[in-house]
Amino acid sequence: MKYFRFIWKNVFRKKSRAFLTMASIVLVLVLIVVLSSLLEALDYDTGRTKGAANVVVQHATGLGNFMPLAYRQKIEQVPGVVAVAPQIWFGGIYVDERPQNFFGQLSTDPQVWAIVHDDYSIPDDQLIDRFHWTIGQRIQVRGTYIPGTIDLVLRGVYTGPDESNIFFHNKYLENSFLGRLERTGIFYLRTEAPEKVPGVCDAINKMFENSDAPVKAMPEKQFMLQFTEMMGDVKLLFRSIALTVLFTVVLIVANTMAMSARERVTQIAVIRALGFRRSQVLMLVLSEAIVLALLGGVAGALGSFPFMWGLIGIIKHTPVAMFAYNLKISLATLLTAFTAAVGIGVLAGFVPAIRSSRISIVDGLRRVA
Amino acid sequence: MGIPLKYNLRNLVVRKVSTAMTVLGIALVVTVFLLVMSLAEGVTRTFATSVSSLNVVILRVGAGSDVNSFVSKDQHDAISTLEGLARGDDGQQLESPEQVVLINIPKRDGKRTNVIVRGVEPVAFKIRGDSVRIVEGRMFQTGTAEAIVSTRARDRFPELRLGGTAKAGSERWTIVGIFDAAGSPYDSEVWADLHNVQEQAHRTGGFSTVVARATDTAARDRLIAAIKGDQRIKLDALPESDYFDKQTVTAAPIKILAYFVAIIMAVGASFGAMNTMYAQVSARTREIATMRALGFSRMVILVSFVLESVVLGFLGGLAGAAIAFVAVHLFLTAPTGTNNFASFSEILFNFQLTPALIVSGVVFSLAMGLFGGLFPAARAARLKIINALREA
Repeated sequence: MKYFRFIWKNVFRKKSRAFLTMASIVLVLVLIVVLSSLLEALDYDTGRTKGAANVVVQHATGLGNFMPLAYRQKIEQVPGVVAVAPQIWFGGIYVDERPQNFFGQLSTDPQVWAIVHDDYSIPDDQLIDRFHWTIGQRIQVRGTYIPGTIDLVLRGVYTGPDESNIFFHNKYLENSFLGRLERTGIFYLRTEAPEKVPGVCDAINKMFENSDAPVKAMPEKQFMLQFTEMMGDVKLLFRSIALTVLFTVVLIVANTMAMSARERVTQIAVIRALGFRRSQVLMLVLSEAIVLALLGGVAGALGSFPFMWGLIGIIKHTPVAMFAYNLKISLATLLTAFTAAVGIGVLAGFVPAIRSSRISIVDGLRRVA
Repeated sequence: MGIPLKYNLRNLVVRKVSTAMTVLGIALVVTVFLLVMSLAEGVTRTFATSVSSLNVVILRVGAGSDVNSFVSKDQHDAISTLEGLARGDDGQQLESPEQVVLINIPKRDGKRTNVIVRGVEPVAFKIRGDSVRIVEGRMFQTGTAEAIVSTRARDRFPELRLGGTAKAGSERWTIVGIFDAAGSPYDSEVWADLHNVQEQAHRTGGFSTVVARATDTAARDRLIAAIKGDQRIKLDALPESDYFDKQTVTAAPIKILAYFVAIIMAVGASFGAMNTMYAQVSARTREIATMRALGFSRMVILVSFVLESVVLGFLGGLAGAAIAFVAVHLFLTAPTGTNNFASFSEILFNFQLTPALIVSGVVFSLAMGLFGGLFPAARAARLKIINALREA
């Protein structure tokens, strides 16, 4: 610690250089924080504890296919199942096709739905903030694959892990235009305990194996992951970008440190002549790089927040708008970024530090800068 | 001008290591930018490759894609009576009812995604002209559970190889042929016999879509108006090119990401270049002063130092473009995919590193060099000759 002043002075020996290097680190950290937050949002982990006991059943061919609603009674018989809620994705258009007007509209059976989703409560909902809706508001949604327009009245709001949907009664779809409802998109069910989930899934899959409409039952989390897996190779892309970015900044910082070390050959020779050991010189130069990186790290972590808000604003206007609402900077991400900053410092400072420690006193003192 | 210029450029060679590091930094930024942009370009190009400007896609009103659409048998019958439909060599009208089903199958990495199975009649191939043709194996036989897949789909899904079986739920199709759809969105699909697809998917009430070929552009526009206006039909119709064009929004998130990453990294890399140039200016103070004393003006020094930095950027740009070129042509040749938001299925495409993109990457690197060199060069130009010569 007693050398801290010395290190600090050396870091800011050339103010513009220190500033520029830190600025590059800040930018890179912002990028890394944003990319990892995007990855996290894609991974969809609501942190729900109760969701672990939930199972989703869909048509084995894929989500675009409907199953007979009569399966419900059979699924209810499976040991371990507490409640089964059918759910239909209406997939309609609100106002127009712009992505920022996109939200899910799900038709379900409210009594059972409330049992399956007992971690949801009423009220308050992000959609309310988004569209400035009020209770009693009429919401008209034009159907896409289900013909017709649904004309809903907003009666209540809820809070829960996922607040990006509106719900309405299956009976409404039935009465207005679908006729008697015989098919459904998915069944959302609650089992007694998370340990029951694998058994229930197997039982349900076996039950309809040889029917016209075989099904695929899976834990809720796996169901949600389907959607992000469909994003394709985006995740790999993010990871490779993050790695390249890190590598680039190590190059930039290492270059700066090397330049600064080269200019200070005489200074280092002097302190060696004063009795500093090689290992001390090594530590001093390395610490400089780390201090620089840490300063950049703190600034970068703080600086990433406004960037994130800006990006969320932009994403809301793209087809992936729904991810914008899951985007946030988590503590884990900040820690990762911080570790990355220290790593940048160590990696970038290493070569210049070793080189400085090897300077011979005589050569160093003789040299005219 | 000759001497300062030569002096600056030779300096790049003298400090090999720091030049190389700065160039590499800029090169990597250009590489990342080019790779992400060529990804977006791949998506855009796929949707822009429409088969024929005379083709019309007919959908249910409000359906964004054929996956969401439904056309009843009566509506189809009415469509076939409309005027303006082209005829094939054998006199058959060129309108093709098609049934689209999504199947969820595993990719090479084991993760699952949705793939379109398109049930078609032989006329579908005539409407697509020569752009959908068999390159391996043979055509599926009518009335059987045989299917053909695109080369891209074969490369991406292990089950979709020649002789393999596409299976999802109770549906099964044996792959007997591989087709090439000239880089159009059909290159992401599996094609099979119309009636077999309807039967296996339990959708015998109608079709997903009807694709029709008009005799000419004027007839196409009249045909579209008739489909929208006819009381028996009342469907939505649009040229095939417009239909696919609407789906290019799929590339929007990738493009936003590319610009976001590129801009942040570019500023970072120009800071790196700036650092190098500042260090150079202060290390070469005396040399600069000597040149000024010899009579070279401030302006000449400024331009010459900016050029040094721009050359640095240019070298980085060339290196970055070269890395991206090698990456795209050696390592990223396999088709890649992302979710097509309109059809809820995967759209397959290849990285497209176009000459225009390469030029934009190099221009981008020149900008980084310019920005990085401007302030240090200004400092060099402002040096006071007397002070500088006296220094050290």
